[in-house]
Amino acid sequence: MQYYVPFLMVAFILFAVGAIGVLVRRNFFVVLMSLEIMINSAGLVFVILSYFSGTISGQVFFIFVAAVAASETAVGLAIAVLMYRVRHTVDVTEFSIMKR
Amino acid sequence: MTGIEACVFAIVSLMAIVGALGVVFCRNPYHSALWMVFSFVGIAGLFALLQAYFLTALQIIVYAGAIVVMIAFVMMTIDFRKVRGLSKFVPQWLWGLIISFGILIDLFILTSKMKIDVSQAGKNLAIAGSNTKALGMELFTSYLFPFEMVAVILLVALIGVVVLTKRGIK
Repeated sequence: MQYYVPFLMVAFILFAVGAIGVLVRRNFFVVLMSLEIMINSAGLVFVILSYFSGTISGQVFFIFVAAVAASETAVGLAIAVLMYRVRHTVDVTEFSIMKR
Repeated sequence: MTGIEACVFAIVSLMAIVGALGVVFCRNPYHSALWMVFSFVGIAGLFALLQAYFLTALQIIVYAGAIVVMIAFVMMTIDFRKVRGLSKFVPQWLWGLIISFGILIDLFILTSKMKIDVSQAGKNLAIAGSNTKALGMELFTSYLFPFEMVAVILLVALIGVVVLTKRGIK
């Protein structure tokens, strides 16, 4: 077994736990936080492979991933505030206002 | 990996995974936010083990410092009884678990099959002993155009958020 395998295992476990949170939880804020964990574990894979292949490009891409994740969180929070104003709840199962 | 590195790796990866589980399985969303800080500090430790020292600082400042605080502030504007009165899981929670475990098994099989050339491991990550200098050289020479595009994405997100949330306020 190569010694990059445990690092990748940790990143993949984090991704799966974040996926459980996105698919299972009702609270929209917890869904957003789980999404952050998923994005961060994808960035972790970039950094791991940048270290083990000896190129720094993966670390540059983590900066891009972090910036896009920050803007995604901001837009998600705006949607949460809007949905709370319309529906008076943050339950994701109540969010299907386009479905008629 | 030497013994002390393996020990540090075990501690920080356990922190990251326990924090992520805490985010998913805490009833109170504020506790979830605090567990997320814990998890991100663990991931920052993993970055330090991988010699990405600039990203260690970035992880703590941007994620644990800015994003978690932003989510917590927005949660404070929502009626707390409504937030806490939710039941915890959606009715289809079993399918979510099955899909997530499928993803996990799939990625593990992928990891066992993949081969990486590790002869360069740990090299080329610093110029004159500085990881930040190497990162900046790469970012502002090879990746200058994507960097500007990220700036545009952040501006679009800023304007979009203002437009979205200002609509109902007179």
